[in-house]
Amino acid sequence: MAFKRLVTGVVLGLAMVPAQAALNVFACEPEWADLVLALVPDADVHTATSAGQDPHYIEARPSLISAMRRADLAVCTGASLEAGWLPALISRASNSVIRPGKPGLFFAAEQVTLHQPQDHVDRSMGDVHPEGDPHIHLDPDRVPVIVDALADRIIELAPDQENAVRLRQRQWQVRWNLEKAQWRDAAEKLEGTQVAVQHATFGYLLRWLGVETAIDLEPKPGLPPSASHLSKVLSDPALERAELVLIASYQDRRPAQWLSKKTGLPVEVVPGTVTGEAGSDSLSALVSQLIDRLLQYREEHAPETAHHD
Amino acid sequence: MKPLNTCAGALALATFPFTAIQANELNPDVSVILDGYYKQNHTALSHRDEGFGLGHTELSLSSPIDDLFEGRLTAVLEDHDGETELELEEAFLQTTGMPYNLSVRGGRFLSQVGYLNSRHLHEDDFVERPAAYRALLGSHYFDDGLRLNLLVPTPFFWQIGAEAFDGGRLSEGEEDIGVYTVNTRFGGDIGGSQSWQAGFSYLNNRQIHGDHGDDDHEHDDHDHGGHAHGAEYTGENLYITDLVWKWAPGGNNRQQQLTLSGEYLYVDDLNEHAASDDVHEGWYASAVYQFAPQWSAGARYGQVELKEAHGDHFHDQELKETDVMLAWSHSHFSTVRLQYTHQDAHGFEEADNTVMLQYVMSFGAHGAHGF
Repeated sequence: MAFKRLVTGVVLGLAMVPAQAALNVFACEPEWADLVLALVPDADVHTATSAGQDPHYIEARPSLISAMRRADLAVCTGASLEAGWLPALISRASNSVIRPGKPGLFFAAEQVTLHQPQDHVDRSMGDVHPEGDPHIHLDPDRVPVIVDALADRIIELAPDQENAVRLRQRQWQVRWNLEKAQWRDAAEKLEGTQVAVQHATFGYLLRWLGVETAIDLEPKPGLPPSASHLSKVLSDPALERAELVLIASYQDRRPAQWLSKKTGLPVEVVPGTVTGEAGSDSLSALVSQLIDRLLQYREEHAPETAHHD
Repeated sequence: MKPLNTCAGALALATFPFTAIQANELNPDVSVILDGYYKQNHTALSHRDEGFGLGHTELSLSSPIDDLFEGRLTAVLEDHDGETELELEEAFLQTTGMPYNLSVRGGRFLSQVGYLNSRHLHEDDFVERPAAYRALLGSHYFDDGLRLNLLVPTPFFWQIGAEAFDGGRLSEGEEDIGVYTVNTRFGGDIGGSQSWQAGFSYLNNRQIHGDHGDDDHEHDDHDHGGHAHGAEYTGENLYITDLVWKWAPGGNNRQQQLTLSGEYLYVDDLNEHAASDDVHEGWYASAVYQFAPQWSAGARYGQVELKEAHGDHFHDQELKETDVMLAWSHSHFSTVRLQYTHQDAHGFEEADNTVMLQYVMSFGAHGAHGF
């Protein structure tokens, strides 16, 4: 019965929204576009970056200014991930509803506690964000918190869509929890696995799974792998324990391939975020894909690794 | 246009604490630019002396002022003939809460004419601006005034803007409002890898035919008057058209990016003695290829044809300039650049070829990645 009432609410809720009033959303990264569309499927979403792009390095180019001009809501990561381009976009777009401190600007990183916030940061440490690691979008525990906050924010901006958004929010949470149960099973098998990475892109998920990061190919956060750092990596005893090199598709593959050639470690290139392609077309699919790849590798190579030890 | 926004009430503002994008709490964003160089030879129309020197050392403070205004203050320290000058390059406020995507900027700021002029010098890919900019705009024209910008509600990017300036920093004169500009820009993406922007600008310099027109020209004769920051060559009407095209595979400009840009500048009505064919004219075309995250190489060719005023007649001058450069940026915040400049001149005594080594370092707030 409750479900029937909800459905009626949805139908009524949708009927009340005129066609031209579709929520216009500017998503800084594809993961937030995925969540917005899960809550408001008919939203008009412009995604500023793709899985093939390093989200730190975007330019405030004309098409993005134009998209920001039209938006009712901007959904971004925050925690200085977009520090190089979002302030410039907001300023150039002169959109009076999208301003720091206004409900039209939603920062996912502000809805959760971040890993490793820093009291003292200086640039000699690399591109370290004082607020903490902003790559939160694959964390099975943090993403649901962000979805709840995002649903609240959308309802605040579009109260007439409350019933529909609440319904989809609940559906999303149910689906996510079902997936999470499977991820937890996988985590048991993966616990203790060690990997080499390049940047903290997958850090939250790896920690959740109990997978340890033995090696980072970046000499300092945000600095590309240098020859001297790679040769240091090669003689690092921690490398012995690493079972594979995991990099995001937007990253330069050459350092990982070089390391692979020297050590025989396999390289896994995984999309850093949601793409339009099957297997990574939603956040949960991407998390599952990442876990499947790790599991597959674990099953194929685990005996060999044991032999090495 | 935006019925969904009307519900964002005062309660919402109270519940969501003010959150600046950079974790700066109540302190303004502070940034410092260090710019130093070694230059082998003196070159024509240059603002950098030969030998070791400091370029454009910049201290900038910016912050939201309240929920309606944001402000920026930029002080520049420049060395000229052993004397250090402190100059205010920017001291402006800008509105943030205007409807219809309007914004107003008031105070001292860089005019938005052309592509390069509104950018800070340290963002450039070459040690100095093209010869046409150095001659006609004093490298970068900034002044005290007011700007109104509007983003037109079209599906693509289209901005229209107008500015009014005191004009005293472009040329001397008695007019209260010496300079008006209008500017429009269009731009967009082509597929996922290319983006472009085109602009047209017009600058009207009302001081040229003012009462003190003759003083103006005498002033112009002092080519190397030390700290004259205005343009050395002026006219009543300045027209600029600019085009920028960028390509990065998959839009991932971290790894690779090719930037092609060019501008054409045309000035007429130089003074009351000018005939219709007495004009200043210049252009440049630049190609910069960032071929790895930390490396970029570029080449630029530019030329400018000028009329140097001598009482009631003009002397022709021409400067052709070719630059090649290689830059290494260890991080986002440090760049070391090696540049070779070849000058080919007519009517300039000090034209020469030179090698320059420059560093541009920034610390403090993260600079904006402009287009």
